[in-house]
Amino acid sequence: MSTNILEVHGLKTYYRTRLKEHVYAVDGVSFSLEKGKTLGIAGESGCGKSTLALSLMGFYFPPLHFGSGSIVINGTDIMKLGKEQLRAQVSGREISYIPQAAMNALNPTLKIIHFIEDIMKEHRPELNKKQVWDMAAERFETLNLSPKVLHSYPNELSGGMKQRTVIAISTILNPKVLIADEPTSALDVTSQKAVIKLLKSLLDRGFIQSLVFITHELPLLYHVTDDIIVMYAGEIVERGTAEQMIFDPIHPYTKKLMGSIIVPEEGMKGHKLAAIPGTPPNLKNVPEGCRFADRCSYVQETCRKGKIESQTAGDRIYRCIVEPEVLKEWYANEAE
Amino acid sequence: MSVYGKYIVKKFFWYFLTLVIAVTLNFLLPRMIEGNPVSMIVSEMTQGMTDSDTIKRVYETFLVEFGIDKPLGEQFLIYLKNLVTGNLGTSFGLYPKPVTEILASAVPWTIGLQLPAILVGWLIGNVLGAVAAYRKGVFDKVIFPVALFVNSIPFFTLAIIMLYVFALSLNWFPLHGGYDYQMVPTLSFEFFASVLRHHTLPFLSIVLVTIGGQAIGMREMSIYELNSDYVLYSKLLGIRDSKIAKYVFRNAMLPQITGLALSIGTMVGGSLICEIVFSYPGIGTWMFTAIRQLDYPLISGCTLLIALAVLLANFTIDLIYGWIDPRIKAAQMEDQ
Repeated sequence: MSTNILEVHGLKTYYRTRLKEHVYAVDGVSFSLEKGKTLGIAGESGCGKSTLALSLMGFYFPPLHFGSGSIVINGTDIMKLGKEQLRAQVSGREISYIPQAAMNALNPTLKIIHFIEDIMKEHRPELNKKQVWDMAAERFETLNLSPKVLHSYPNELSGGMKQRTVIAISTILNPKVLIADEPTSALDVTSQKAVIKLLKSLLDRGFIQSLVFITHELPLLYHVTDDIIVMYAGEIVERGTAEQMIFDPIHPYTKKLMGSIIVPEEGMKGHKLAAIPGTPPNLKNVPEGCRFADRCSYVQETCRKGKIESQTAGDRIYRCIVEPEVLKEWYANEAE
Repeated sequence: MSVYGKYIVKKFFWYFLTLVIAVTLNFLLPRMIEGNPVSMIVSEMTQGMTDSDTIKRVYETFLVEFGIDKPLGEQFLIYLKNLVTGNLGTSFGLYPKPVTEILASAVPWTIGLQLPAILVGWLIGNVLGAVAAYRKGVFDKVIFPVALFVNSIPFFTLAIIMLYVFALSLNWFPLHGGYDYQMVPTLSFEFFASVLRHHTLPFLSIVLVTIGGQAIGMREMSIYELNSDYVLYSKLLGIRDSKIAKYVFRNAMLPQITGLALSIGTMVGGSLICEIVFSYPGIGTWMFTAIRQLDYPLISGCTLLIALAVLLANFTIDLIYGWIDPRIKAAQMEDQ
């Protein structure tokens, strides 16, 4: 087998509404992630990226439910494991998570070290208290976090510090995959930089083997990730390397999304700042054909018929019925 | 002095100031009630007497004896002077019994009735509320409306209904009093059994009301805590449900502890209605009698006791809260 550490096949997860409707927020997502790589997942609010992040953890809390598909971590399909097996053997050990609102992710009445003790009791019961304390202090020091933090309550830490503490806690068991759900969204630029540095050093030191980084801040993805997936209405619309996705997008949605970057990177100066008109479709009743059709300025009649399947072009995957060459010609014409 | 020490001293000063104001009001308010206590007593004593001179002499003797012939300011100074030495004056209605003696005989009855009832009700109420929030489903659908119903009935109505049904109609419990009037209080088994029989109905009425209020509060707090981010995060790191339940209920308990301390503090004053309905020989019944007889010293004595208990309870909450909730402690420190 390849060196894929995470493989997701046809993952479908849905929210059950009060009216018992099934709303598929993740609708047939497949991708793989190699050891040592970082994958970025981008998209507008409501495109299903945070739901995907939660779904990858294998735990489903109402109203979110598992539909179908597989999540294979290091050769094991975690969706085939029982709940208790998943909790005891996978959560936090194989795959770990940094929540979107890390500010509130810590129990306000528990000192950091006691939370770490509780985690260790579940996963490394052979360690005694002293060993856990030493281990935590050593890890925090390695990650340039003051060990004093360990003996603080969450409310005694600043926002950026809390976020870095959460990252350190999430990775204390050296998980193979780390899912970071918008870890920088609530932070100022300085703290963002510190968080990115921390994530990179985790990878470099081998504390984590791969990273899935979810954000709506695209310039960040260019810095952090090797590959980028763009999601729209629960589906992957395009996947490529960060370089390709930002400077040479195929799908019209990727093109628009990259055009909406607020802080242009070097080489992107002169690009016009553009918002994407319209809103994503209601996932309760997705339109036939391409889900982006209503907002696409290159929409064809054939776009609204049948199911649009993913296409491959070399190492890239995209979901559009128009040939890449034709699209690029259109983009070039428009730029003039 | 430490910051926390300063905080306590400052708090103590404020509570002391409140006490001084309370003492002043305790003295003034009863004396502002319409009517003259001496003429009430004298008219009762001199029933059948025709000699107006004697009646006048009796009247004046009592006026001097009670000290209410002097101007109000002087009376207050005497009251304060006596207060410092622990002398609360002599009761008018039960002349010449000292107020402290009456209070001392009443307090055990009030505490004996209220304290176990509040503790039991608090404990059961919180357990029910927590279980209702955690289990949801049928359990919640039954507990919640019942608790709401019990909590909405005015206490005197509930007490009178219970008295009517269980004491008058079913004849299971005695109608009034703290023990059988034919008995002389001794340390005998029979006396104890009598006390217990009289104790049951008022005890149950308080327990019932306390359960209702506590269960509603605890259910709300638990639901709030169960939905907080740290619960999800802890789950995703593989911490077992029983441990997470402990986090949740510890945090949900915090406001409930304030509630407990407050109801213990207001126990003496809160017992008024219950004791009157069940003619229980505690502080409440004495205060009721004192007000009817315009027994100034006894009213002041009862209200002083109530004020002291409330202030003491609040001060205790301030002290222990900083210790159990780091967020409160941080806020307390910031005030300095």
